[in-house]
Amino acid sequence: MADIAFLALAVITIGSAIAALEMRSLIYGSIALMGSLGGIAGFFLLLDAPFVALFQLAVYVGSIAVLILFTVMLVKRELIFKKIEDKRRKFAGIGLMLILMASLGAIFIDSGIKTITTDEPPVDFRDIGIDFVTYYWPALILMGLILAGTVTGALVLARRVDEEDEQRTN
Amino acid sequence: MSVIAPKFKLSGFIQSLLDNIFWILLLFVLIGLPAVFIILIVMPMPVLDGELLTPFLALSYLANPTRILPVIHAFMTTDIFRVMAFPGFGFAALLAASVIFAERKMMAKLQLRVGPFYCGKFEGILQLMGDGLKLISKEIIIPAKADKPIFWAAPVLFVATAAAFVALIPVAPGWVVADIDLGLLAVFAVIGFFPIITILSAWSANSKYPFIGGIRALFQMVSFEIPLILSLLGVVMVTGTLNLSEITASQSNFPWIIFLPIGAIVFFITMLAELERIPFDLPEAESEIVAGWLTELSGMLYGLVQLGSYLKLYAFAALFVVLFLGGWNGPMIIPAIPEQILTEGIEMGPITLTVDGLQSLFGNTITQEMLNGTFWFVLKTAGVIFFIILPRGVFPRVRVDILLNLGWTKLIGLCFINIFIALGLLYAGVLGPGGLQ
Repeated sequence: MADIAFLALAVITIGSAIAALEMRSLIYGSIALMGSLGGIAGFFLLLDAPFVALFQLAVYVGSIAVLILFTVMLVKRELIFKKIEDKRRKFAGIGLMLILMASLGAIFIDSGIKTITTDEPPVDFRDIGIDFVTYYWPALILMGLILAGTVTGALVLARRVDEEDEQRTN
Repeated sequence: MSVIAPKFKLSGFIQSLLDNIFWILLLFVLIGLPAVFIILIVMPMPVLDGELLTPFLALSYLANPTRILPVIHAFMTTDIFRVMAFPGFGFAALLAASVIFAERKMMAKLQLRVGPFYCGKFEGILQLMGDGLKLISKEIIIPAKADKPIFWAAPVLFVATAAAFVALIPVAPGWVVADIDLGLLAVFAVIGFFPIITILSAWSANSKYPFIGGIRALFQMVSFEIPLILSLLGVVMVTGTLNLSEITASQSNFPWIIFLPIGAIVFFITMLAELERIPFDLPEAESEIVAGWLTELSGMLYGLVQLGSYLKLYAFAALFVVLFLGGWNGPMIIPAIPEQILTEGIEMGPITLTVDGLQSLFGNTITQEMLNGTFWFVLKTAGVIFFIILPRGVFPRVRVDILLNLGWTKLIGLCFINIFIALGLLYAGVLGPGGLQ
């Protein structure tokens, strides 16, 4: 059962990733990107990590994909990009990807990851949370400070003073 | 003077009736009966009274009305029943439909009109059915140069997403379609799909009013998702779980709105914005941009979007009830079914009517707790829905910059105050281990 689900998810993820690259229509491309990200959420579900899967759905599909879609809709493609059709670049890209995949796969298979067998139950997300606030608390505080700094910086950058419009105020 | 059917002949009418009957019988024999048998054979059959329910036994049970209860009971325990009928789609759609009618009637009373009046004998009670028939029979017009696949798919996806939301709501103890450990996170994930579908539907219509409405909807939904999620974190902190059934069960003594009123108020306001209700109905502002992102939808596509948005309304109201008002918890007011009827039968003078399977039906499935829980849940949900639809008759629409300012500055600040209140209650020992609960 898990194998069928795994195959279906793999087909959805890789297929929609290829579609996201190859589609001429940017809107359909971003929909395909959503499918790809949703497929990754499915992988997390198969790996007994529903917490990560639901966050993947909420953050990547629900927010990031929406931002991409929104940007794409407001941009007129013809004004910015020029189409360059180049067969050689495409095949070079595919070849590079295949070489990367083969080498990464060889490293993974060689690393002895196949011999690891474990019957332990999946890690509960509560344990991860407890670890975060006890053993790894410096990392948590650092992350919090960095995020707070980023948000403050974004607010400062985006801040603007509206000019007083005499007509409107009157 | 015109006649409705000038060439009417009684013999032709009777012939057409006989034709119809013939074809219905033929289709039933050729398609209906084999379909029934295929369903009975393919579906795993339950064991009743120690014997497997074979198709022939099932048909003979159906022929005998007193023995039909075990079949109904067996059906009520299946997942299909849960998804389609009781805590799932059918129940929610029924409530949503009654909300549409109640809203129209209530608006009319507030504005000193009569509202739906002529359809049906009593106060236009059949108006909704008439509207549904009208929408089904209308032609679906697709604008020129519209993106057809997305335009067709968006309303269906909208209803499907709303139904997925409904499936996460626990109605009575043990009565929930999807009882998952991370129920609240799943709610957040499902809510995230609504803006995508809205903006895709708006873009695909290739028309300016839907596009303006869709962009407004996107702004509104995405920016109000943050206070929505933050306002619910207080409840998660004091209960220590994300499972909606457990959150409901933890409120058997008092609802969380007593301790976290700020969170409840913020959630209610964000709920109004997510549902595009007045005073936040900018995406559908009918006096500015025709009908917002629904402008180009016609016929049943519009009907599907309406169904989806009212299902969403029910689901949000139910979520408010589950998180803040105690869900199914309430005093036991449904009387117990008399033991004598279950075991010995109903005595009517000299006759005693015994019905097989009544005991197991009322003992296992339709228990007193389930009926009581459903009653309190529906009562509270109806109250929350009343407060959701009430502003429509009272408030004007706000401007978009006021809306975004409200969401990004005031509501998020209130959410953090709510979280600090929850943390204070936990650390002071009022709630949590050693405290009240």
